[in-house]
Amino acid sequence: MKDDFGARARLGSGPEVSIDNRLPFLMGVVLLAFGIFVLRLFQLQVLQGEELQGIAQGNAVRLVRLEAPRGDILDRRGRVLAATRPAFGVSVLPSDLHSPERTATALGMLLDTDAEGLAERIGTPRGRRRFRPVRLAADLPFDHWGRVESHRFELPGVLTDVRPRRHYVEGELSAHLLGTIGEISAAQLRAAGRSEYRSGEVVGQSGIERLFESHLRGRAGGRNVVVDVAGRVVGDPLEEREPEPGGTLTLTIDRDLQRVAEAGFEPEVLGEPGKRGALVALDPRNGDVLALVSKPAFDPNAFAGGIDSETWKGLSTDEWRPLQNRAVAGQYPPGSIFKPVVAAAALTDGIVTPSDRIFCPGHFRLGRRVYRCWRRGGHGEVDLRAALKHSCDVYFYQVGLQLGIDRIADFARAFKLGRTTGFPFGDEKPGLVPTKSWKERRFSEPWQRGETVSVSIGQGFSLVTPIQMAVAYAALANGGDILEPRIVRERVDRDGEVVSAGGPVVRAQLGVAPEYLAVVRDALEATVSETGGTGAAARVPGVRVAGKTGTAQVVRLKYTEDLEEDEIPVRHRDHAWFVAFAPVEDPEIVVAVLVEHGGNGGSVAAPIAGRVLAEYFHPKREESPATVAIAEDPDAGD
Amino acid sequence: MRGIDRRLVQNFDGVLFGLVAALVVVGLVNLASSSHSDSGMSDAVRRQLISLGIGVAVMAVTVMFDYRHYERLALPAYLGSLFLLVLTLVIAPLTRGSQSWLLEGRLQPAELARLGLVLMLARHFHRNPASEVRRLRDLARPALLIALPVGLIVLQRDMGVALLTLLVGSTYVALVNIPKRAWLVIAIAGVTAFAALWIFALQPYQRERILDVVDSGRDPLASGYQVNQSRIAVGSGGLLGKGYREGTQSQLRFLPTQHTDFAFSVLAEEWGFAGSVAVLGAFATLLAWGLVIASKAKDGFGAMLAVGVVGLFFWPAVLNVGMVLGVLPVIGVPLPFISYGGSALVTNLIAVGLLMNVSLRRWVF
Repeated sequence: MKDDFGARARLGSGPEVSIDNRLPFLMGVVLLAFGIFVLRLFQLQVLQGEELQGIAQGNAVRLVRLEAPRGDILDRRGRVLAATRPAFGVSVLPSDLHSPERTATALGMLLDTDAEGLAERIGTPRGRRRFRPVRLAADLPFDHWGRVESHRFELPGVLTDVRPRRHYVEGELSAHLLGTIGEISAAQLRAAGRSEYRSGEVVGQSGIERLFESHLRGRAGGRNVVVDVAGRVVGDPLEEREPEPGGTLTLTIDRDLQRVAEAGFEPEVLGEPGKRGALVALDPRNGDVLALVSKPAFDPNAFAGGIDSETWKGLSTDEWRPLQNRAVAGQYPPGSIFKPVVAAAALTDGIVTPSDRIFCPGHFRLGRRVYRCWRRGGHGEVDLRAALKHSCDVYFYQVGLQLGIDRIADFARAFKLGRTTGFPFGDEKPGLVPTKSWKERRFSEPWQRGETVSVSIGQGFSLVTPIQMAVAYAALANGGDILEPRIVRERVDRDGEVVSAGGPVVRAQLGVAPEYLAVVRDALEATVSETGGTGAAARVPGVRVAGKTGTAQVVRLKYTEDLEEDEIPVRHRDHAWFVAFAPVEDPEIVVAVLVEHGGNGGSVAAPIAGRVLAEYFHPKREESPATVAIAEDPDAGD
Repeated sequence: MRGIDRRLVQNFDGVLFGLVAALVVVGLVNLASSSHSDSGMSDAVRRQLISLGIGVAVMAVTVMFDYRHYERLALPAYLGSLFLLVLTLVIAPLTRGSQSWLLEGRLQPAELARLGLVLMLARHFHRNPASEVRRLRDLARPALLIALPVGLIVLQRDMGVALLTLLVGSTYVALVNIPKRAWLVIAIAGVTAFAALWIFALQPYQRERILDVVDSGRDPLASGYQVNQSRIAVGSGGLLGKGYREGTQSQLRFLPTQHTDFAFSVLAEEWGFAGSVAVLGAFATLLAWGLVIASKAKDGFGAMLAVGVVGLFFWPAVLNVGMVLGVLPVIGVPLPFISYGGSALVTNLIAVGLLMNVSLRRWVF
């Protein structure tokens, strides 16, 4: 190329241009601008560097909480009642979904569910909400979950997880005892302190789960992971602390015994509603609760993953109150199972001797009122043993009147009726032991002698709970120790330390001479074992069983006496009671059975107790043949 | 054509070449980090390398012809770039809220328009020497020359690039000798224009961005998000940085548009204060060297051209780094040589070619 081109002439003719006089200014501008930047960099990177490094780390590092499994709850022989199992869940991260509709369709097919419903739950979140996972299922069958898992790479934005979930292995079995878990309430959170619990955490809400919350609860672990702006985990965790599972708990309950006890309340005819009521089986030597039943019950598994509102509404508004623990919170008139208390009182106070006889013509007149014996024809001449064996009402009317209401109350209180037994949960109720002063306080009316007559046979104002009667009969059986019922045999803490239940807790002594207790025990054995006894349905081959039937009236006899059993409205039917212990010579087990509105104690409650005793003494896989020992006299009652 | 003049080889400007080469290499390394994917070299790096090849070729051609020929080319180049801007307005589809791409997104006419404007203004201030401009009315023609492309870019709704074009064109104002009163008039006009823009032209989000500079903690999750994340990225780099591909803010995508507008954040995070200052130092040296070339240019056109090229690099660098460091509003202006972007790299290399041309021929008569 030539240097002399046409423009050159014109270039030469123009005025010379130089920027030399502006060079320092222009250099200064450049230096100023870049100097400011360097200062700003110094400020950000050197002065604030550490702080901003922390923020950057906070951006990218998330602490993922690793839930700790709750400790197992075992029966007395180490068989699992409540465990923790993996629950398989699926969520989606909306920000990562290519097409929410297509993902929903694919998931619908993999999970065998309605794709439209899934699409609706995913929705179309905007802004930062797109980075929040939407949980579609929390507890999937493993094969469904496995299908999703194996298609994960074709399903971007679909997340699978495994979390521990409480599992009550036996379903409804001992539901009231084990209790429930549920999300921590605001009040509980305040009480516990935020360092211990976080909102949304699952805690024991009733039963053993609540009582031993701090023991069963594990310590959650954590994992520091690096996440990107969408919250996806990137790479390997930075550090991890394994969650520590909670401590295990060995109960005093015997699973097999519990099963048989609960089976006793099952409907005789399939499809009919089962029996309602309660059963408590105790070891009278130490207070161990061997079985505890309250029916109707519920499946605690329904609570494990957060109960849905419909199920909760159904349970909490059911007229038969399945959530109530009838064994400790159900208060019922005791009926004839109260008679041994009156008998012990009469012997101690010298009202009668074992051989004193009273004539029962079938009724008892007090003033203008006539009190009937349950057997219209009367029992004739009866002594204490026969009166208990046949449950003669007239005998106890007379003895009770001579004792007076306040002495009866004294002895009832000696058996620790009218106050809670110390059972640690389930809203235990104290029952009621009426006295003269109680009536005056309560009704501002004087006590009537006729009311003493009613109380003598466990009617009137008297109220007891099944567990109170089990404890009272345990005292009869063990020679007078009022024991505190206990439910935990052994605890193994998180760090492996074993805490065993100590010796039995004796709350009080009965204060009744052993020979009198022996008289009562002998009579109760006769009730079961001898012909004509009302408790024959509780016989167990080869075992000396003692027991007492009770049929507690809910309404006055005159309203129901002319009606057939099935004509009486359910809520007006009698409560059926039976309390037994065995073997008589050295009692190992007390069983108290109550069937709410069940009718006759001897024919309804006693067979259930019999099956439990049979299982205790002759454990079998199948149904105990003890039910063969039905009452010889089917009409026998109180 | 006699081949390449031996004197051109002897006078080869190693400083200019070395600085540009260093910045380009830093840009590529930084791009490789910020666009990293597990499947080897990313598309972005591959495309940037192709652009680099094209750019180097065009730069070589630019250097080959004496820059004095370009004075005659200035008017056609200017008019041609205006035509492309109009064409873009007519046919280009709307992308990301602005209408500024041609050839399926491979060409951004606004980049070429800045180059055309610089050529045109260099021609103007050569023929009407800037030092001779003493009255405000002498600035009327250059103002019109600037207003045409700026107006067309405003119509493309690309406010950032329009502002950048305005600033690049205004570089020459630093050379004029107008009285203080005239400066006052310009200042008042500027403030009025800004107020008018604020009220009538700026979108709410653009106002937010300006306000965010005044107070970066205003709304860290919404409008201030980018600035805030960038500030965290830069600051967390510390003295020596986190290292190549170790920047959490960039690798985990907390930084927005990290390989284009926020490329310098990535650099600052991974190479720290030391690396950032080195890069800014190279940039400042390049600009200073450009001014030296301008002052030593053989003639007025060369000087004006060199000053224009310095403005072409200075303003985007200021706007971009100022944005990244949170001292200026968020304006989508890439950092020359560092940010990802093909047409910007090619245009910038042409500009380097012009500067080199002026530098080489200061001894050639």
